[in-house]
Amino acid sequence: MLTRRSFLKRSLATAPSALLVPALFERAVALAAQERSTPVGVSNTGRTLIVIQMAGGNDGLNTVVPYTDGRYHDLRPRIGLAPETVLPLNDRLGLHPSLGGLKALWDSGALAVVENVGYENPSLSHFEAMHIWETADPLAKASQGWLASLVDVGGHPFEALNFGTSLSPALCCPVVPPPTVTSPDAYRLLPDPQFPRGEPARTQALQQLYAAYEPPAPYAALLEAAATSAQESAQQLKTLTAGYAPTVQYPATPLARGLQVFAALIARDAGLRVGYTLLGGFDTHSNQAQQHARQLQTLGDAVSAFYQDLQAQGKAQDVLVMTWSEFGRRAAENASLGTDHGTAAPLFLLGGRVCGGLYGDPPDLGNLDNGNLRYSTDFRSVYATVLEGWLGADSSAILGSRYDTLPALTT
Amino acid sequence: MPATGQRAGLTRRQALSGAALLGMGLVLQAAVRTTRAAHAEPLDERVKIAHLLRRAGFGASPRELAEYQALGLSGAVDRLVNYEQVPNVELEVRLNEQGLDLSDPLDLRRWWVLRMVHTARPLEEKMVLFWHGLLTSSLAKAMPPLMLAQNQFFRAHALDDFPSILKGISRDPAMMRWLDLETNRKGHANENFARELMELFTLGVGNYTEQDVREVARAFTGWALDRSNPEAPAWYFNQNQHDSGLKTILGQTGAFTGDDAIDIIVRQPAAARFISTKLFRFFAYPDPEPEVIDDLAATFTSSGFSIRAVVQRILSSDAFFSDRAYRAIIKSPTDLVVGTARTLELETIGTPLVQAIDAMGQTLLLPPNVAGWPGGPAWMGTGAWLARMNFANRVSSGQVGTPAPGSLLTQLGSGGDPVGTLVDGLLDGVLGQPQRDVLASYLAAAPDTEERQRGLVYLAMALPEYHLA
Repeated sequence: MLTRRSFLKRSLATAPSALLVPALFERAVALAAQERSTPVGVSNTGRTLIVIQMAGGNDGLNTVVPYTDGRYHDLRPRIGLAPETVLPLNDRLGLHPSLGGLKALWDSGALAVVENVGYENPSLSHFEAMHIWETADPLAKASQGWLASLVDVGGHPFEALNFGTSLSPALCCPVVPPPTVTSPDAYRLLPDPQFPRGEPARTQALQQLYAAYEPPAPYAALLEAAATSAQESAQQLKTLTAGYAPTVQYPATPLARGLQVFAALIARDAGLRVGYTLLGGFDTHSNQAQQHARQLQTLGDAVSAFYQDLQAQGKAQDVLVMTWSEFGRRAAENASLGTDHGTAAPLFLLGGRVCGGLYGDPPDLGNLDNGNLRYSTDFRSVYATVLEGWLGADSSAILGSRYDTLPALTT
Repeated sequence: MPATGQRAGLTRRQALSGAALLGMGLVLQAAVRTTRAAHAEPLDERVKIAHLLRRAGFGASPRELAEYQALGLSGAVDRLVNYEQVPNVELEVRLNEQGLDLSDPLDLRRWWVLRMVHTARPLEEKMVLFWHGLLTSSLAKAMPPLMLAQNQFFRAHALDDFPSILKGISRDPAMMRWLDLETNRKGHANENFARELMELFTLGVGNYTEQDVREVARAFTGWALDRSNPEAPAWYFNQNQHDSGLKTILGQTGAFTGDDAIDIIVRQPAAARFISTKLFRFFAYPDPEPEVIDDLAATFTSSGFSIRAVVQRILSSDAFFSDRAYRAIIKSPTDLVVGTARTLELETIGTPLVQAIDAMGQTLLLPPNVAGWPGGPAWMGTGAWLARMNFANRVSSGQVGTPAPGSLLTQLGSGGDPVGTLVDGLLDGVLGQPQRDVLASYLAAAPDTEERQRGLVYLAMALPEYHLA
């Protein structure tokens, strides 16, 4: 496993002005540490948590479908899913027809469905609700992402990786910023194509320029940390992904590409603790059927490929995937063949140590709250399950309190 | 279990309205921003003009900077704000020569980026960018011709009064598709537009209730799209689909239409603070003092809700030209890329610019969600930083465009002081001595080589300061 210290040793070997390289890194860390979170220890260090955000507010009732409940069909005469089309989990619930990938995981016992997850006095605003889930604080006083303190300053570049264009607030902000990657091939400092041998001298000057940019200059800590973390992680990503070959054909979607990068790091024992990525397109206010089907297909196919690859690499026992969405949607369909913002929804946990099955009490379609579902499982119970049961971290240090955990994981 | 959202939910929503208004990005900014840099000297006038042109536009070449400097500070502000007085014929001629197909998403972006690079009215294009990021719509749901029409709407009305802009955007076909106004019918109102109108466009979370969302949605029923010409759908009012009953919106009751709802919303004190804050953060710095916002809100209200009045006031204010404002904003990808093309007078067909902006995490006309781009530190993920460095590399190795005759890069080889010339042209001449020394030593190792000269340009663009507006 490549650590920051071994990265520094290599940099010292190649950079003549060696003194400035450690200064750059250490000062960035020291500055950043004044403003950032305190890491929380993790005892199951060989394990990885992958978080997939389903952005926009996923329609839970059409994802995990109560297909034998007459009230479901009454509420959704046009967009409700016909019983013969769902993929049955049991005689009460079925998955959306596009989730074949997840159905296979259910059949093999690797999929847990936690029903009706939410919190008290829920927000129907995308941004407020996302903030609440990201910081694990329904009162929105917290500003730190619930995953941020799992990333340790003494670790190495790929302890966390955010696949996407900017760092998720759920991961914000550990002492040194986790890499945010969209395209592994483009994730490097490119040399002048005509003078590639001039690159070391040019890059050394670049590092000296950043080392000379000191507080109280604006954004000094941010810019130095971005530059350092980028260079470290770029060097290592290339090496790590070069030694990995996928054992399955991943779909050609950005989500699948992201999961493939996670698989590479996991297969190569890069010490990935948290992989984070986002799939959008769930804000289905109108003409929901096609859009929702497409996004769920993308999710199921990508996750299925990822899990099969992990199994073949012998890593499925070391990975837990968790999905979340900022809210579910209104129980009744609207006049635009879609659904308005809602409240509670199911989420998925899957992995080689998951006890497959259903968890939590289902929503009661006969007892709606102004048209919305009343939640049964607090989302922080899911977080506590993941923090304690999967990573072996002190969940109350992160969540502020103890929450009941779900028996969804084998030890 | 308590009812969802029937009450205003004061405790959390008021607590959050600050954070929600500013977004997680600002919480990040508060956490990461070190104390504001104090410059050794107050900004001299040349630096102020350069700062003004970066903020009210996309920066300027040394030649353009000299033209504005000749006008003096208030003359420069006047020319920028009252841009109708500036002819823009050369831009239109240049665009026609490109042979662009505006029904193609990439060409549409090229068209807009080339406008930003070559316009004689920088604030006009900068305001279009502002509105595009606030009153969002996306190619994800609206085809290029609709997004072009919306872009033109913003251009034509950028500095009008806010109620007119909102009423106009509610009738814009791209917006109607994006937020489902076209399927908003009597008896089954679609909440999407009503919610985002109040949450994201005018008031912010905490300043309206869920009941207000439902009532505003009712007010907008009857908004419809006539698709008899599929190339150019148009708004019309469908009386049959309009719920003409009484609605209670923000405490007022009446048989309101969508326009009435906008008139009520805009008169809320929260709306004045909301739009003033958005504009100030866009132009000046991310954390305005409350009294600054109070002053702008008063201007907004007393001027008939004029956006021009607020923008004029911001660009003329002491706060705008203060230490606190200088280099206080992280350049968006558009600012960085367009600014580079303008400052270096790069002749380009626009595609390399569009690609660079995309690679840095901002795909124009395709915002990540209805809240637009969070901005600030969110622009500085590690992948984005690498993309910025790689853009500098492409520029310095001639892959982005050709410098025009007489432009900054063509002046570098001619004996003189290349470091000083670059620092003056790209960085207002404001750069610490240690960094100047690094640049000078880098060049001095082999000053007559193309390798080191190109490398110097790269390094100047790679500097942290160059990424701050």
